[in-house]
Amino acid sequence: MMAMLERVQSLLPWAVAAWLLGIGLYAILTSRHYVHLIGCLSVVQASTYVLLLAAGYRHNARAPIFYTHAPSVAVDPVVQALVLTDIVIGATVTALLLALVLQLHKRRGTLDPEKLRPMRS
Amino acid sequence: MNASLALLPPLPVAGPLAVAGLLLVFGHMLPRRVPDAIAILAAIAAGVVCVLMATHTVQAPLTYWFGGWTPRHGLPIGIAFVVYPPGAWLGAFIALLFVATLLFAWGYYDEVQAHFHVLMLLFMTGMIGFCLTHDLFNLFVWFELMSVSAFALTGYALRTDALEGALNFTVINTIGSYLILGGLGLIYIEVGALDFSALAHGVNAMPGSPVIAASFALMASGLLIKGAQVPFHFWLADAHAVAPSPVSVIFSGAMVSIGLYGIVILTWSVFGGSPPVQHLVHTLLLGLGAASAAVGGVMALMQRHIKRLLAFSTISHAGILLVGVALLDRDGLSGMLVYLIGHGLVKGALFMIAGIMLATLGGIDEIGLRGKGRPIWPAGLVMGFAGLMLAGLPIGLMDTGMERIGLALRSGHELIVRFAVVMGMVCTGAAVLRVTGRVFLGWGSVAGEEERSPTNAEREKADRPLWLMLVPTTLLVGLSLLGSHDADRIGWRAASVLMQPDHDAVLGLAGPHPASIPAWTKVPGSWLPWLATMLALGLAVLELTWHKLPRRVGTSYDRAIGPVLAVLRAVHSGSVGDYVTWVVVGLAAMGVTFALI
Repeated sequence: MMAMLERVQSLLPWAVAAWLLGIGLYAILTSRHYVHLIGCLSVVQASTYVLLLAAGYRHNARAPIFYTHAPSVAVDPVVQALVLTDIVIGATVTALLLALVLQLHKRRGTLDPEKLRPMRS
Repeated sequence: MNASLALLPPLPVAGPLAVAGLLLVFGHMLPRRVPDAIAILAAIAAGVVCVLMATHTVQAPLTYWFGGWTPRHGLPIGIAFVVYPPGAWLGAFIALLFVATLLFAWGYYDEVQAHFHVLMLLFMTGMIGFCLTHDLFNLFVWFELMSVSAFALTGYALRTDALEGALNFTVINTIGSYLILGGLGLIYIEVGALDFSALAHGVNAMPGSPVIAASFALMASGLLIKGAQVPFHFWLADAHAVAPSPVSVIFSGAMVSIGLYGIVILTWSVFGGSPPVQHLVHTLLLGLGAASAAVGGVMALMQRHIKRLLAFSTISHAGILLVGVALLDRDGLSGMLVYLIGHGLVKGALFMIAGIMLATLGGIDEIGLRGKGRPIWPAGLVMGFAGLMLAGLPIGLMDTGMERIGLALRSGHELIVRFAVVMGMVCTGAAVLRVTGRVFLGWGSVAGEEERSPTNAEREKADRPLWLMLVPTTLLVGLSLLGSHDADRIGWRAASVLMQPDHDAVLGLAGPHPASIPAWTKVPGSWLPWLATMLALGLAVLELTWHKLPRRVGTSYDRAIGPVLAVLRAVHSGSVGDYVTWVVVGLAAMGVTFALI
């Protein structure tokens, strides 16, 4: 019983990452409002956060800070650096997308992706 | 090795980044045109450094560990640039394309200070860094830098069309970035490293791992989105058609093919030891390349908006590039590298001609511009010639590359791939020749299928002198004609280096050195290029004069081809939801192919 529980526990982060990717993509392709769509894009991105953090996680390990503690078992600092970079990139893209959407709303008065097809209106 | 040479690798990215930062801060204080000159000089400097590195790394690569974090006992703990001739020559090509484009765009953006130049320099830095890096996450960061500057440059003009195209572009490509990041996470879980050489060792140790296969599928999908391959290609036509023409020059000339260069790196430098991955590349990716070549060609022929037409022709030729990669053959890869550069130069020149039309004729609609191109006839000459080269005219770099790819295709591959490649060349060549005939000669008074395609009324800043725009255009076409013999040799060596990377040397291990490079041999001549050129000319004339044919021929042609064209047109809907659906379909195809192995 315990063994099974542990197995479920260790698979959980991967399942969450896959779920976030799937639900995010589904939400994007059915979205009818660009601001909502940009939010869904962040959900897709969240799946990469979960995946990377789970990759570096170790049970009963410390944060990888060694100048105040004696070296001991720590979680993987590399993936944490990756996630930080990932967050910065995500923020940049979201800001850019929101700026584009804002400009488009001023000109077209709608944010329905189905009505904003380039060169077809 | 010369000590000062060892310091070169970071310069082509550090230099333009620093200049971009300074331009952003001080650009508004500078007189007009000074930012133009500074950006051009920065691009020239980056190009010169790349050429220096390319010519000095023939014997051994230049390895630069940032911050001096060299590998300890064969274990990489830092991030490296490993400069081989293929990456360095690509960097030089990118810099050259930027120099020509910045010359072309001289005075294009007077009103917006130096922001355009800052974005262009960041864009260039992202691409060069992508070609030089030896670390998977670092590759992703350069990829992102390139993508984000491209998104901003597309929507830059703030016209409705441009904003809509930029949104499609951004959403689809950002999904691609996250797929790459997901794949990167998976391989890190399995191997515990990000350096290419360490990854390759890890992959060699567990060749059959499903996690490794899944990692490749995710990363390849992300790169295929950037490389505009069916069914990931939909964003490209929307973005290239609406971006400012100088930006489209870079998009079609370099950005798309850089995505495919990423596939080359993954296939050989990282996943070279994984049989399932090699199998996937050789089956699915070969098929996708062939499909892109054919679909892009037919779609190009159906367009009336000239930039959109050129965008579809880029999809077609990117498909040919992917075929070159997916053949997993030295000739194929060697030809692909040369074709990449040749196509980039020619397609860049074609987008510049589109820009000249926008600036001097005040439009970009093929039907609307019929016969109006006579005052700018030199542009017409260049355009017609470029069209012939797209079709396969046996001269210049495109032909050299194609002959090599053709050699790889001849050694026993499905007829259908060969057919798709020729179809792409013929259709895209014919489409460009048709535009030339209609705009510059006034032929084709009755429009065919192309009349039903989307178009818009746009124009670009008009008061630039014609010669200033024609000089970089002819420069690019002229360069694509030079040195095809040397290019073939360099391509052959580059392909060999890419296919047998010396991983132990990078990690400071004493391993067996890779086998020596087989001797270069000349490609035997072939009649195929002539046939393709003739077919393209014939097709262009047919497209312009079909109304003179007996009516019965026209109707039976419509009945046979019409439904196919209607489906193709309906599929390219412009809706971002549809495009994401296609991305999911492509991902599923990857999964199914792996499951079948």
